[in-house]
Amino acid sequence: MVQTQLAQTPFISEPLTWEQICQRYPDEWVCLVEIDNINDTDFAFRTARVVGHGRHPRDPYVQARPIRDRYEGMGHYFTGRVRARISGMVIE
Amino acid sequence: MKITEFDPKRDLIIVRSMIWGRGQYNQLSLAIDTASTATVVAPHVIEDIGYTPRDGLSITTVRSAIGKEQGYTLKVARFEALGFACSNFEVNVFDLATGPDIDGLIGLSFLQHFDYEIYSIVGRIAARPAAADARPA
Repeated sequence: MVQTQLAQTPFISEPLTWEQICQRYPDEWVCLVEIDNINDTDFAFRTARVVGHGRHPRDPYVQARPIRDRYEGMGHYFTGRVRARISGMVIE
Repeated sequence: MKITEFDPKRDLIIVRSMIWGRGQYNQLSLAIDTASTATVVAPHVIEDIGYTPRDGLSITTVRSAIGKEQGYTLKVARFEALGFACSNFEVNVFDLATGPDIDGLIGLSFLQHFDYEIYSIVGRIAARPAAADARPA
C-alpha cells in the first residue's frame, strides 16, 4: 500500500549519475528525463533526473504521467542485474 | 561504421535504443537477439509514446517454452539502435515471458538492414548500413 502511494506521487530528482540512481533505487525500474548522453549510441550518460521508480516496469511510467508532457523524451531503465533469459520464441 | 558499446559482463547483449511515437520518444535498454525474426517491445513502452492496441496492424500469438501469449504488430514512427534509425518501423508488442527486467528485443527485422560485428570480450558492436532504407541517426 505504501509502495503504491509512493509510486503515484510525482517528483523530479536533482541531476544524478547512473551510480547514484542505482544506489538510491536498487533493483527498480526508473524513468529518467534530461538525460545528458555522452554520445548517440551508448547507454552511458553524465547525469539524468529521476521522475518515477518502482518494482514493476509500468510503475515509473504511472508516476511520471503528470509531468510526461513537459518532456519530449524519457528513459526507462532497470537498475539491477538483468536476469532475463531469452528462450526460443515463435511469433505467428 | 558506427560503434556501440555494451557491458560484456551481462548475460545478454543489451544496447541503448530509442523509439518514437506521437511526438514523444522513449530511450530503452533492449537485448540484441539474432535468433528472433521480430523486434519486440513491451506494451508499457508503446503506451507511453501515445499508441494503443487500436493502432495495431495484426494480432500475433507468441509461443515460447513458457507458454503462449497474445500480442500485436504496430508501426512506430521511428526506431533507433546501433547508431542508425528506421522510420515507420514495425515492432511486435507483447510482454516478454523471459523476465521483467528488459523492455524488449532487437531482432532481425532491424538487424537485417546492417552488416555488423559483435566483439563479445570488449563489449562492442560495429555496424554499417547494408541497405538504402537505414540512415545514420
